[in-house]
Amino acid sequence: MGSSDLDRQIEQLRQCEIITENEVKILCQKAREILAEESNVQKIDAPVTICGDIHGQFYDLKELFKVGGECPDTNYLFMGDFVDRGFYSVETFLLLLALKVRYPDRITLIRGNHESRQITQVYGFYDECLRKYGSVNVWRYCCEVFDHLALSAIIDNKIFCVHGGLSPSVNTIDQIRTIDRKVEVPHDGAMCDLLWSDPDDIEGWGLSPRGAGYLFGGDVVQSFLHNNDLNLIARAHQLVMEGYKLLFNDTIVTVWSAPNYCYRCGNVAAILELNDKLESNYKIFEAAVGVDSRGAGVRKRAPDYFL
Amino acid sequence: MRSPKSPTGTFNIGVVRNKHREGITTDSRDWSMVHAGALVLDQKVVTIDGSTLVEDACQILIDNNISSAPVLAQSKSPVSSSIERKKSYIGMFDYGDLITYVLIVLKRSNFSMEGDDVSSLEIKEIVRRAVAGQSVPVRLASDLSRKNPFYSILSETTLLSVVEEFACGTHRGKEITVMRLAQGMLSQSMVVDFLFKNVHNFSDLESLMNQTLRELGLGHNSVLSVNADSPVLDALTLMSKFGVSSLAVVGQMGVLLGNISITDVKYVIKSKNSLLWNTCFQFVGFVRSRQGIDDGQDRYPVFDVKLDTTLYQTVAKLIATKAHRLWVTDDRNRASGVVSLTDVLRAIAKNAGLKVSESRRRDSLAKGPWA
Repeated sequence: MGSSDLDRQIEQLRQCEIITENEVKILCQKAREILAEESNVQKIDAPVTICGDIHGQFYDLKELFKVGGECPDTNYLFMGDFVDRGFYSVETFLLLLALKVRYPDRITLIRGNHESRQITQVYGFYDECLRKYGSVNVWRYCCEVFDHLALSAIIDNKIFCVHGGLSPSVNTIDQIRTIDRKVEVPHDGAMCDLLWSDPDDIEGWGLSPRGAGYLFGGDVVQSFLHNNDLNLIARAHQLVMEGYKLLFNDTIVTVWSAPNYCYRCGNVAAILELNDKLESNYKIFEAAVGVDSRGAGVRKRAPDYFL
Repeated sequence: MRSPKSPTGTFNIGVVRNKHREGITTDSRDWSMVHAGALVLDQKVVTIDGSTLVEDACQILIDNNISSAPVLAQSKSPVSSSIERKKSYIGMFDYGDLITYVLIVLKRSNFSMEGDDVSSLEIKEIVRRAVAGQSVPVRLASDLSRKNPFYSILSETTLLSVVEEFACGTHRGKEITVMRLAQGMLSQSMVVDFLFKNVHNFSDLESLMNQTLRELGLGHNSVLSVNADSPVLDALTLMSKFGVSSLAVVGQMGVLLGNISITDVKYVIKSKNSLLWNTCFQFVGFVRSRQGIDDGQDRYPVFDVKLDTTLYQTVAKLIATKAHRLWVTDDRNRASGVVSLTDVLRAIAKNAGLKVSESRRRDSLAKGPWA
């Protein structure tokens, strides 16, 4: 696949038009090759803009790029949950993937709990692939890419980024590097916890009400930062009405990048811009307006999972 | 500290049964002597008047985010209404009752799938049509399902007695999952939660909790399940027939994909169409998606444990997820058993020396459709 082919696909996807099944197959193959080389804890140099959950809200992703700058002019880190729930999981994920293949050093994608076969069958991505392509092949290709996504990222050795949170099985960043990540997200264990856990107002650890992962308190965050010589944990995974939320004396932040989540929650979204001195600047943005968020053209009946 | 075996046969509610001496054994190291009333504090009890229409009673459950509520009868005063008669409790109403009611009503009215576009009707509408425009008060629908029979105790009733009743008591032929005291309602979850939070004070419980499900002989039973492709109506019928509050949704080879609980019915009520004829798997997706929006965070599709999980971890998960049961899965993610709050209380009762009969589990009588 030539660079011009890829550019053409990117332009197409930017118009929210899907590429062919065969193009998806090749794109996913190329992406896997690039991702396979990445570490479980992918190193990133500042400046970079950190983004949270997108959940298939394609037009809001476009808003995000307007606010943060187009890729590759701005370096980006997306902390997972690209798919499920929104109407355009396919276009959203394929655009991000195409950008990754085109500008591998300018955009980093890490895995969220929704980048999973089991979860995407329940929360909508599987159905969307089937509907838009008439077969499950695209879903399968994407799941193979999910398996290759890094589990976390570290910016200038100071800011640790992960989709969910911490794990009682993980005390050091090095321990994360030893995980065999190229698998479906397990039901439990370190890899599962990193993608499913949440910070909470407790001491130590608690079981998560989500049924996977843990709850962890400020004391746990404090130890982790100290043991690994870090300043901050950036994560996503939980809806935040104000777009972002700092907890535990600003040692951990939740960044949420899907405005008006599911087209009904009325929240704003945020991105975290880090300059080369690692100074943070939070930018808030709202859902795209003037666009029929249910898609240009025929207004389809909303899928059951949306009612 | 083990209590002596209780005498078989007779049972008196509200009377301290075991010969523990006051003063030495009623300290916090003996959970069995804690009074039931101590667990029911500052409770806001939501009640439903018996004349409330069934569909409105359901809305009360939804609005208050509860799964059951006591139903009060309006006592008619024979003399002037200046004498206010105290309302009496006539039963409990929960989602199980609603489901049973809807199923009875559907069966009686012989809904056919052709002609009527039934799949697009709301439950409310089905109910309304089926009774030919007549309104049905909730007092006729309460206690229809076999769960949650109305069962009353004194606040001085010991926790040991409470545990015994939850573990193996029956009332009007039904399993007991909630009890009424003067102060409010005491559920199985509340008892388990109390014991768990205080487990370090109770050494007999602590050692029990460190054992695995396998060691305790738990989670080895047949699982009541429904095929992922079958309609939701089948699942509701099954839950109603066997008096269980939750079913495993299984796919090919018996792999556990999700579960349907009676309380999920509230999403059915809220939705534009009745969803009764969607597949169980679609329903699981629908419910999970709605829960995710309500909570601001998504749940794992199944809540499960393994046979080698300890009772402590199992109870921790039951409490954290607020589930009433967890599926036990094998290494291929097939549902091989279930552990419910009742099972946990049975294990605690047995450990305390109470005689617990083995023939109780209704679930164990039914096999999943793929068995």
